[in-house]
Amino acid sequence: MRPRWRKVLSDLIDNKARTLLVVLSIAVGVFAIGVIAGAYVIISDDMSISYAANNPANIELRMDDFDEDFLNTIRKFDGIKEAEARRVFNIRARPLGETQWTSIDVVTIEDFEENEVNLLTPVSGKEVPLKNEILLEQDVLEKMDAAPGDTLEIQLRDNSIKTVYVAGVVQDSSTGAVDFLAPPLAYISTDTLRLFDQTELFNRIYATVETGQDDDNHISVVLSALKEKIEKNDYEVGRTFRSLTHQHPLETTINAVLGILMALGVLIVFLSSSLIANTLNALLNQHLRHIGVMKLIGGRDKIIFKMYLVLLVAFGFLALLIAVPAGGQGAYGLAQFIATKMGFSLLGYRIVPIALIIQIAVGLLVPLVAGFVPVINGSRVTVQKAISGDLAGESSEQAEGGANRESRFEAIQFEATRILADRGIRIKRPLLISLRNTFRRRGRLILTLFTLTMGGATFISVFNVRVTLHEYVESVGNYFLADVTLDFDTPYRVNEIEQFAMQDPRVTYVEGWTFSGADILSIDGTTADNVSILAPPAESVLVEPLMVSGRWVQAGDEKKLTISEGIFDLYPDLQAGDYLPLKVNGKEESWEVVGIFKFINMEGILGYAPYEYISRDQNMANLSFSYRIVTEQHDRAYQEMMAEDLDAYFRDHGFHVQEATPGLATLDSAAESLDILISFLLIMALLTAVVGSMGLAGTMSMNVLERTREIGIMRAIGATDTRIITMVLVEGLLIGVISFILGIFLAVPFTYGLSWIVSTAIFETPIAVVFTPMGYAIWAGLVIVLSTLASVLPARSAARLTIREVLAYE
Amino acid sequence: MTQKNINPLIELRDVVKNYQSEAGVFPALKNVNLNIERGEFLGIIGKSGAGKSTLLNMFTGVDGLTSGEVIVHANGESVSLHSLSENDLALWRGRTMGVIYQSFQLLPMLTLAQNVMMPMDMSDLYHPRKSRERALELLDMVELSEHAHKLPSLISGGQQQRVAIARALANDPPVIVADEPTGSLDSITADHIFKLFEQLVQSGRTIIMVTHDKGLMPRFSRHVEIVDGELFDNDSFPMKGKARMGEDRK
Repeated sequence: MRPRWRKVLSDLIDNKARTLLVVLSIAVGVFAIGVIAGAYVIISDDMSISYAANNPANIELRMDDFDEDFLNTIRKFDGIKEAEARRVFNIRARPLGETQWTSIDVVTIEDFEENEVNLLTPVSGKEVPLKNEILLEQDVLEKMDAAPGDTLEIQLRDNSIKTVYVAGVVQDSSTGAVDFLAPPLAYISTDTLRLFDQTELFNRIYATVETGQDDDNHISVVLSALKEKIEKNDYEVGRTFRSLTHQHPLETTINAVLGILMALGVLIVFLSSSLIANTLNALLNQHLRHIGVMKLIGGRDKIIFKMYLVLLVAFGFLALLIAVPAGGQGAYGLAQFIATKMGFSLLGYRIVPIALIIQIAVGLLVPLVAGFVPVINGSRVTVQKAISGDLAGESSEQAEGGANRESRFEAIQFEATRILADRGIRIKRPLLISLRNTFRRRGRLILTLFTLTMGGATFISVFNVRVTLHEYVESVGNYFLADVTLDFDTPYRVNEIEQFAMQDPRVTYVEGWTFSGADILSIDGTTADNVSILAPPAESVLVEPLMVSGRWVQAGDEKKLTISEGIFDLYPDLQAGDYLPLKVNGKEESWEVVGIFKFINMEGILGYAPYEYISRDQNMANLSFSYRIVTEQHDRAYQEMMAEDLDAYFRDHGFHVQEATPGLATLDSAAESLDILISFLLIMALLTAVVGSMGLAGTMSMNVLERTREIGIMRAIGATDTRIITMVLVEGLLIGVISFILGIFLAVPFTYGLSWIVSTAIFETPIAVVFTPMGYAIWAGLVIVLSTLASVLPARSAARLTIREVLAYE
Repeated sequence: MTQKNINPLIELRDVVKNYQSEAGVFPALKNVNLNIERGEFLGIIGKSGAGKSTLLNMFTGVDGLTSGEVIVHANGESVSLHSLSENDLALWRGRTMGVIYQSFQLLPMLTLAQNVMMPMDMSDLYHPRKSRERALELLDMVELSEHAHKLPSLISGGQQQRVAIARALANDPPVIVADEPTGSLDSITADHIFKLFEQLVQSGRTIIMVTHDKGLMPRFSRHVEIVDGELFDNDSFPMKGKARMGEDRK
């Protein structure tokens, strides 16, 4: 091997700590990018393939009970390829011997073996349940501890308790995909319906279209025509859903979330590149004498540039050796986690070529780009400067003509010290040295501060975004302020339920609500979407809306509604006071939009109209199926207890209770979904913090190494180990504190930016930003710990050097 | 700038070197003129701060001059050093001049043989295999062949200086420039090194050596003294203007 390459090899392996620092700095960024890019591709590919493999219904209709004959007419409808009917109803279940009930939507499938739409994927146990057996969707297992072979207790409407046998666990990527806040699912055959006290009729249609399965417009036209036909047959359709065969309903949201993570991945690469630049600058500084010697004996800029370029590529290559396999595993792990949460299967572990290419490109290009300037500068240094070591630059500034003069910072520092001393305040000499040392290498300090500050600002912002999202979900909870929602199978008089409920001293308030639904018509008269209309009493105290424009519902409103922001997808220019074409109970009507409010658009378009009008229109004045109950206390545990007690209480008095749910239940599951996103964001924020602290550790090691001789001199004139360690620690802490202060300010725009991106992706609407001291406090603690850790090793090694060693150091 | 010329080997013409400081301009070399002939063993003697190393840096082109000119007539061409770019100068120096420092300046991560091979690698004058053979020959010449594969840190200071000499000879340069090469060595080792220089001069090389040790004067074929940036010949007269040192010898 030629001596020049032998030197490069030695540079690579002799200083293992420095090589490790550079390699890890590159690897962190490459790993992050690899994980996100890989997961993005795996999810994009597998989600659509896995989703399509189960032949998802393009059309779902939730409607009145119907029989097999009616289903056959649907099957013959023009444009429909396959249509299957299900009976879906809600029950409460718990494993035998447990006390905690879980709400489950039971899906009745007529013939599991002939099932063609919304196919189930077996996970464990049997694939087809026999009479009095049940299959559980795997999401149920997150709520209760059950396995094939176990027995479940089921509570029926008459309060009687039956048992069913868990035959198996399945995965259903289609049925629940459109409504991710819905309860988990379980499946039975029609033989078991009787056990559940249900009629052998269906209430949902799942159909695929013959052509244009990935054309939303076509599906919409078929759905609209089909709905019209169904309604002409005197069946009422509650809600309708459309899905494309090759697009998971949540694909856009997941991709948006991955997009956010990708942006953070790019930020990590960016930060790690500044760390690399810092380390390479220091490396070139340490190598100046070598460069000088090489130039003295004939080395030209080109040769030296090439040598260090090869060193950079070698750093990149070593980083790839770590980051590519780890990134591949990480990508699959992340994809698997998301797939499990979203209820679809992956097609198996594989290397994603595009992620690999991105990783290789980033791994090789980032050190080249980050190291280009230091290497160019290093290779161009003159022999005189290199041999004499006259390029430390330090903090001194070059006066005209080349001589050093006192820097502005030094002048300020000396002046400040003098002023303090005049007032009797004396800063201890070691502290002064630490202060001065901190600002000696300004270029290095700026890069270190940049990395650590960006890491800190991201970290703090993630906490702010977390609170912002939760606050928003909570504010959405203002639409559901009741502690318990009590739904009945039959309507009861509002007064009657109110009287009964108020007999429980813990109940403080009761409201009867009703519901309606309508099709939103497009300008050409076809159905564009549905709106679920909730009808609380006009003077309801249980809704505190976030109005965007207009007003809330009022008593006396007729054919007037407030509508959620989701309407802007259909009518972008709609304003309060405009009229909206709706089809209500099969009749085309024009309703005035009196107000527009904020809501989670993913949940579909929601409307509010006064109970007084809707109930009268439905011929159900003073009657209601659904009641909102307020209790003395409002925490989740209390709500759950009250839901159970009220459920039992009403059942005991002969009421047909369908379900009693605690008010915070829906919010909790929404918050859970957000926490998954937040935990990913936190992981990315921690990675940025790790890069930042690696930068600090590198800087402190370099500072100590470059000051070896100074440390020796200080020891020679009496500095103890403790004093040397303290000086280095104070310097590291000072950098940490400065970065924290800068991070506080930078976190403000970061929080606004990240909140905007996340809320637009998740809620499809920008939300009000909330700041929390938690992120600041945690980061303050973390930055102190990280700064101490980053300085403690260099400080210890500085203290361990003997005077002879350091004074002999070159 | 190159021109065809045969003698002398090195010419310093009115060389001035000033350094800027906060206190003002510091003249390190004051209008120095000097001719160096082939085969000379020239000693430049002076106290610390007299300007000896600055003068040496003028010969090697390592440092720039304020005014004047340094011309080297070697390898069939005449080169005005300070008209060359840093890159061209590096290549020219690698092929024409061997430089030896008091602190040896060996690359610590390379073995002795690799250190000696380095100038050949940098100048592309020898095939890698040939350069290895030559490095071993040179190490043998300085009696260090048995240590060829050791790192510099594992041998003594005197041995390191011999490696530096072997490295200086790697590209077979006509001129060797040495800056206090025996300054950090004990007297016996220093004597060994000096004898090595004398052998090289006998074999036809030109050596310019800077030292503060007046005791070495008799061992040079010629010596000049430098005091506060001015050169004095053996009769202690400053050498300025047209009276170039060495011209009397012709």
